Amino acid sequence: MLKHDVVIVGAGLAGLRAAVELRKKGIDAVIVSKVYPTRSHSGAAQGGVNAAFDENDSWESHFFDTVKGSDYLGDQDAIEILTSEAPANILDLQRMGVVFNRNDKGGIAQRPFGGQSFPRSCYYADAVGHMMLHGLFDNVLKYKTKILYEYLVTSLVTDNGKVSGVVAYDIKNGKFEGIAAKAVLFATGGYGQVYSSNTNALINTGDGMAVSIKAGVPLMDMEFVQFHPTTLKSTGILVTEGARGEGAYLLNSLGVRFMSKYAPKAMELAPRDVVARAEQTEINEGRGVDGAILLDVRHLGKERIMERLPQIMQLSIDFEGVNPIYEPIPIRPGAHYSMGGIKTDYNGRTVVEGYYSAGESACVSVHGANRLGGNSLLDTVVFGRRSGIDIAEYLKTAEERKFDESTVKRDEEVFEKLKKSSGKERHGLLKSELQEEMRADVGVFREENAMKKALDKINELKERAKNIGIDDKSKTFNTDIVEAFEFNNILLIAEVIARGAILRKESRGAHYRTDFPERDDEKWLKHTLATLDGNGDIKFDFSEVAVTKFKPQPRTY
Amino acid sequence: MEFKVRAYRFNPEIDEKPYYKEYTVEDYPGMTVLNALIKVKSELDGTLSFRRSCRSAICGSCAMKINGISKLACKTQVSPEIEKFGIINVEPLANMPVVRDLIVDQESFFDKIKEIKPYLLGQREDEAHNHFHVLKEGEKISQPVYYRPEFQNLTGNNDTPNCILCECCYSECGGVVGNPRYLGPAALAKLYRYSEDPRDNDKNGSRLVNGSKPDGMWDCVHCQSCEEFCPKGISPVKSIVKLHERTIKNSITFSAGSKHVVSIAKSIGETGRLDEIKVAFDSGGISGLINDLPMAFGAGLKGKIPPLRLKLIKDMDDIRLAYKELDLEEK
Repeated sequence: MLKHDVVIVGAGLAGLRAAVELRKKGIDAVIVSKVYPTRSHSGAAQGGVNAAFDENDSWESHFFDTVKGSDYLGDQDAIEILTSEAPANILDLQRMGVVFNRNDKGGIAQRPFGGQSFPRSCYYADAVGHMMLHGLFDNVLKYKTKILYEYLVTSLVTDNGKVSGVVAYDIKNGKFEGIAAKAVLFATGGYGQVYSSNTNALINTGDGMAVSIKAGVPLMDMEFVQFHPTTLKSTGILVTEGARGEGAYLLNSLGVRFMSKYAPKAMELAPRDVVARAEQTEINEGRGVDGAILLDVRHLGKERIMERLPQIMQLSIDFEGVNPIYEPIPIRPGAHYSMGGIKTDYNGRTVVEGYYSAGESACVSVHGANRLGGNSLLDTVVFGRRSGIDIAEYLKTAEERKFDESTVKRDEEVFEKLKKSSGKERHGLLKSELQEEMRADVGVFREENAMKKALDKINELKERAKNIGIDDKSKTFNTDIVEAFEFNNILLIAEVIARGAILRKESRGAHYRTDFPERDDEKWLKHTLATLDGNGDIKFDFSEVAVTKFKPQPRTY
Repeated sequence: MEFKVRAYRFNPEIDEKPYYKEYTVEDYPGMTVLNALIKVKSELDGTLSFRRSCRSAICGSCAMKINGISKLACKTQVSPEIEKFGIINVEPLANMPVVRDLIVDQESFFDKIKEIKPYLLGQREDEAHNHFHVLKEGEKISQPVYYRPEFQNLTGNNDTPNCILCECCYSECGGVVGNPRYLGPAALAKLYRYSEDPRDNDKNGSRLVNGSKPDGMWDCVHCQSCEEFCPKGISPVKSIVKLHERTIKNSITFSAGSKHVVSIAKSIGETGRLDEIKVAFDSGGISGLINDLPMAFGAGLKGKIPPLRLKLIKDMDDIRLAYKELDLEEK
């Protein structure tokens, strides 16, 4: 068994940022990640990270934009922290070596982003997530941080309501390991693989969320799934909102900039939920182009495209066979981000003492019902840092606790049993069926009967999942069994999403019910909290939304 | 259309030696090699093992040899490969030990990244914004104006920040083939990127000194493979050449490689000719000369004997002019 003061699970931006904070103070924190840190999906973030720097901008304006963007479901005390700490966090990253494009005064250049009333997205061409991830990784190396990579965390272990560590599966040699700790941070990212046509990495299977709910930690607002308006038609690969920030048009089959109908002021730079719905409406009403919408950057000119959007150009050529300098890019909405997640406060704390979460896996909530572009990278560093600081404080008084080693044996047996199964179901195929069902019936537009059909499908898949067979019986780098574990996680998360979406009888942000098309602040200005009961069934509870400065208003753009 | 995937297979628990296994896959327009491998794994054979994550050429997980060349499986289309080779032959990257199937042990690669100190060193004295400042109501932050605003970014337009550490360059690197301890292109390019960063304050040049030691920047064989095979269009070798220039400019010339370069420049500057014996002596000293003896003897047997005394060439004035233009001082 291993023992450390802090275990950080996940090595994307939030995890690395917390690690830097802890290691700077000399705290014994270990990073555990199922992939090598630089493979984390934070690296795929393209367009920007928001902070008010300009003398004509203010963090209060960023605060309001975020509250409005969240459709008033975001907790305003947390959003105040997010936005007022934003500039300092960006400068902090810059001191650590992260590179941002410059403006002509030598400061950080900023571009417009959706739902923001001022150009305040800092960027590095169209690869700012990559830049931040590698910059923070380099700092984790600077502070000589121990990294257990290619370790899959299978359980959270608690002792009398306090966290006492995790169980991890060493993918390289197939051994289970208990890692005892006084504090555990989950920065495990999202669950984009619940949906077909998503922008997410194949590793984004909501593992941290699934492990949490199984350990009794509530998941909050899981019905809010962001669909990104611009993902490549064939693969779902992300095309940054920065493209529209630089001035790209969205066109339907008639060549019309249809956003004038849906968001006459903001046009293409309306928030993602609004644009995604507009696109889907155009497609559904027959004004799509082979089931897609066109993203046109041609008028920006070759030079600007190559300077500001080089990755987008290359991705379009490599994955869609379209050179955006000469042709519009076929795009459509794709599952992108989970507003919901492990319920935390604004210091990353969960209901279990010593157990923290930050980044996409967490729900603080700063994004509410709809996240604004450029706020997720900000979320990772602001709350990754705050979690690190709070953990350091917590350790000063945290008492020793017992790590129940039978948990290691228990998880080992689950894997062994799975390996021995002679079942005929293939998890890869079940996953495709689940993803397609979720896209079709719990997607951009939702309706009770369709969602009940999705639940039936989920129940069917749960039965069939009992007969999953594993081809690979070996211990060395057995990715077959890892994928089976991941499939069970997305299946559980899919059910939480679907049940939450059926429960919430209103339309707010990314959750749009065609049978309840209005926002209902009377009944539904509240967070949903999902937990598992003794039978493993999902049950729901509610909590208040923190409304401090801005009373809910109609949300138009 | 159906095509064949021929995969390198090796599981140390079961197999005594590696073998190849063929799978038949149905093609569709736009299918990538990674799509094909995922199809094989989920439908035909769950034991085929490979790394993958982002599927959009930004995480660097799925680098492997595809028809002999180190590439990202996610951005390699099936159809042009089939047109050219008739098959998709997949093997693990080279220059690293195989763990299983298409998975290599990356530890040595990342150890080398750690070795070059890939982070800003020291604190700049003119950095007035060292504290973390949280804004109060109505307050605005002032940001430092970074030191060279003419640069579009902070690394002098060096392309290394785009590197995704996928190891394709490392797998193709001629230098690593010859010397497995060689730092390799990705680590050295990163060394250059940080040493050029205007925020870096490596006062005594420790990073350049470390990079100049044996197995460092002077072990590059200039084969250009790193540039040729980089899936992100980066040229590590250009960064390495600039590193050479930078170390010599900073008079970090203790290494045989730098002495070699300085000596060649000197010899040509003085006589217009390459004084091979002197260059060998300047680079490696007496022991270097002795080490070179067998090779020199072999060359001598083939009739290749360097002249003991060099005559000035006729156009020496041109050489001097060229040196002046290149700003190379004759020492």
